[in-house]
Amino acid sequence: MAPTESAASAAETGTPNGTGTPDCVPNRSLDRALAAELWQGCDAAGWGLTRGEFEQILVDAGTAQNFGLAEDSNATPATTKQQAAFFRSLCVADLALARACASGSERAWEHFIAVYRQPLTRAAIAITSSETLGRDLADQLYAELYGLNVREGQRRCPLLSYRGRGSLMGWLRTTLAQRHVDHYRRTRREEPIEELDAPAPNPLPQMPARELSLLELAIEEAVRSRDAEERYLLAAYYLDEQTLLEIGRVLGVHEATVSRRLHRTTDQIRKQILKNLQRCGMSRRQAQEAMGADSRDLEVNLKKLLQNSQSEAFQEQAAS
Amino acid sequence: MTATSQHGFHPDAESLSAFSEHALGERECDEVLAHLAVCGRCRQVVALAREAADTDDKTAAVPPRKTVVPSAWWKQWRLVWVPTAVVAAFAVASISVYIERADRHGPDIKIAEQNPTPDATPPSTPTPTEQATVEPPAAAAPAPPPAHTTKHERSAAEEPMPAPAPPVVAAQMPAESRAQEPGAPAPGVTDREQFRREAPPMSHSEEQQSRPQLATGLHGSAYSQPASGTGEAEQKQAEEHRQEETETSRMRSFKAKAAPFAGHGANGAPPAGATETVTVTAAPAVEAQPAAPAEPAPMLGFKRVWDVSGLANPIQLPSGLASVSIASRGRLLLAIDKAGALFLSEDRSVTWERITTQWTGRAVEVHRQVAANGGMPTAPAAQNGTTGNSSPDAGAAPPPPVSFELSNDENQTWVSTDGRTWTPK
Repeated sequence: MAPTESAASAAETGTPNGTGTPDCVPNRSLDRALAAELWQGCDAAGWGLTRGEFEQILVDAGTAQNFGLAEDSNATPATTKQQAAFFRSLCVADLALARACASGSERAWEHFIAVYRQPLTRAAIAITSSETLGRDLADQLYAELYGLNVREGQRRCPLLSYRGRGSLMGWLRTTLAQRHVDHYRRTRREEPIEELDAPAPNPLPQMPARELSLLELAIEEAVRSRDAEERYLLAAYYLDEQTLLEIGRVLGVHEATVSRRLHRTTDQIRKQILKNLQRCGMSRRQAQEAMGADSRDLEVNLKKLLQNSQSEAFQEQAAS
Repeated sequence: MTATSQHGFHPDAESLSAFSEHALGERECDEVLAHLAVCGRCRQVVALAREAADTDDKTAAVPPRKTVVPSAWWKQWRLVWVPTAVVAAFAVASISVYIERADRHGPDIKIAEQNPTPDATPPSTPTPTEQATVEPPAAAAPAPPPAHTTKHERSAAEEPMPAPAPPVVAAQMPAESRAQEPGAPAPGVTDREQFRREAPPMSHSEEQQSRPQLATGLHGSAYSQPASGTGEAEQKQAEEHRQEETETSRMRSFKAKAAPFAGHGANGAPPAGATETVTVTAAPAVEAQPAAPAEPAPMLGFKRVWDVSGLANPIQLPSGLASVSIASRGRLLLAIDKAGALFLSEDRSVTWERITTQWTGRAVEVHRQVAANGGMPTAPAAQNGTTGNSSPDAGAAPPPPVSFELSNDENQTWVSTDGRTWTPK
């Protein structure tokens, strides 16, 4: 690795290793060679950014995300390699453009409009499945991006939250999708309630209540024991009714792989339920008979069950 | 925790975007995936964003339409040049073959087109059947005077000749006289015809070989049918008769040649307008055959001259009606018009005499009947004009006893030896 400014400053301070900066020491500045490489790889100068502003943007982005490391790794800061790897993984050009637009650069906005305006509208139309709603959604986001929203006397541009982890277009699409989903979830309760059929009287349970309760407990335990990917497969396939192809695109695997994993997950859950029932004192035959119980007799809400399996990471993130 | 109460806990748009783009590290990816497993809202966001990206990719993946620049027409024609040339060559070959065949079969058409004689137009238009089955009489072209043989075209154009005169003059022009005017083609004669006119005469054997072909070509199926319908026995008899008359035919003068040749042309060429022709059923085929050796050499040339000058004048009967049946014996000519009236001419159709009706019904056919004791076969004539071959002053031997037979529309027959007096058979 080429000597860096931080390494030089570290050498001046008399750090023990030859490079001046130990790998374990967090470096809040950017390597000059890397900075020059990234600077040349983007057109930040064209958007009116200075070299110092550019490097500061990168450092802020890396610091905010801890260079891609776990949040609890603050005690062990990222090494120079980890930082370089993180910076090289960033979409630096998009990041520079986004920050230039957020700062109000006319040339950056002209470029943004020329490159992203039409794709933004197409993405909004695709998300809403409506020409009118899509254009409204895109225009609304475009207005927000332009900084028409003022909070505490300052223009708030959503582009400031973009830190270059993915492409700017992907971020725009995801933002559009978030706006659309949130809008739908807010307004769906305002829709008139359709006439509901009178619920059919519950048939008398064929199985004893104890066995049913044991079955419910076995199912909940079996589902909770699945890992994140398997629970995501179950939720996306059975709750969201996504296709195997859609799930495969999200996970970056082939739909056949998704199918195999889904089949394997359901088999394992079934076996796990049987085991749980036998562990509760049932014989194997009784457990199999219990597995044949009518699902309407069960009070297992899979959606609720999966949602209650909240991931720890975001709980911590929310708490922080 | 419900989906609506999770806003503070959801990953931000960048994390979700990076997750769907697989730009996150393993640890971050697991965190996002664990959240997606329990968060329907984020799953929906990721799914929608992914769907929009796929739609955009498909739109971008569609190649721009190539602007079709129409090339120049001559460049496009290069593709069809070869088949066009082939078709053109085939068309030229077909036309050449057609012209060649038309030269052989074409006298009927040429005469019909090129005959300028207005009086050749018949008073009435025969039916197609009549056109196919009739032919001009052999005597329709009387022997021309010798004076007309030198300036035949001019005479035909200036002098008001009798109806058959112009074609007869042209048809009867001897080869010697034509040889005197090699560079003066007759009006309407094409170069090809002129060339054929100047072509070397055919030998006797060639004439005999070409004659059936000519007969077929000139007369068509209507003429060839009677000859073929006579049967094998009749053909043998005709062959014998042809041999007998060979000597007689050799002694015929040019005048004698011209008449049968005119008759032959009349057989092959319908008269002008091709509307007035005569059915000849009485002239036996044996009469037509001896004419072949009589005019061997100039036959083809004469035919051409006759074709172009239009030996088209039909028999003009005093009744003004078209003749439907003709029979001849020497200069004696009998003709029945459409009304069933019988006419007799003793001067090769120059003057006609109406014969009083001595039969019942309507006469429809007259033909010559060779007496059985004369040893001559009874055969219907294939053509009429050839009867002129047997000129009375041409043969030294007494002609066999010949009589005429007349049939009415009830298929009853009357017999006459002189054409004037008819008795039931």
